Amino acid sequence: MPISELPIFSMLRTRMQWHQERQQVLAENVSNANTPNFKPRDLAPFDATRLQPASSLAVARTSATHLAGSTTGPVQFQLDRGGAFEIRPAGNGVSLEDEMLKVAANQMEYQAATALYSRGLGLIKTALGRR
Amino acid sequence: MDFVKSIAIAASGLRAQAGRMRVISENLANADSTAQTPGGDPFRRKIATFTSQVDRSLDARTVALGPVRTDPSDFITKHEPGHPAADANGNIKRPNINPLIEMNDMREAQRSYEANINVIGATRRMIQRTLDILKV
Repeated sequence: MPISELPIFSMLRTRMQWHQERQQVLAENVSNANTPNFKPRDLAPFDATRLQPASSLAVARTSATHLAGSTTGPVQFQLDRGGAFEIRPAGNGVSLEDEMLKVAANQMEYQAATALYSRGLGLIKTALGRR
Repeated sequence: MDFVKSIAIAASGLRAQAGRMRVISENLANADSTAQTPGGDPFRRKIATFTSQVDRSLDARTVALGPVRTDPSDFITKHEPGHPAADANGNIKRPNINPLIEMNDMREAQRSYEANINVIGATRRMIQRTLDILKV
């Protein structure tokens, strides 16, 4: 079993993917802060119990001696098109303050996930007795 | 990598705002550009437009500077018979530029530019955190 398949690591990895995806959506919002008729988007809050794996093709095994491929594909995160706080006369609903707040929160939560990930790796190292 | 995409999207915002800044500085620099010939038209105010487009290589909605339009509003007329560009009645047409509006536009462009820089900085720190996992 590879390290990345351990429950704690696979969960943290999914969480980090979610933060990556959210960062991209937030970057879209900020760069389009002055585009007419642009509605900001966000990802739906992270819920590890309600993740839907993106349709991925399983690796075919044509011989019994083949190693089993990894079956966990990338997950699909839900987009949240919730209403904007205010919509300006040009039809743009991006609030820069709001977006900055989200970017900062995203960064901090990502930092927490990576810190937990390295702690997990440290635990394994301790178990191996190399320290 | 997704983080590189985020930086590329924010960079498209930087480019668009920089282009808008160029148009604004053109307007401000030409705020007093009158016609060369008597009764001719002076400099006409330009307006930068933004369009949201789907970048297929990034699979994301980036922003781009649309066509630069001209402001169709009336020129400001002033009575100045001694001016070389004055018409038969002694009136000259001055550009339809209000420095106050341009300054406001400039502030907005600056604010949006800084917001994009912020996103790039945050993304960069997130990449740094990812690399820090290696240091365990």
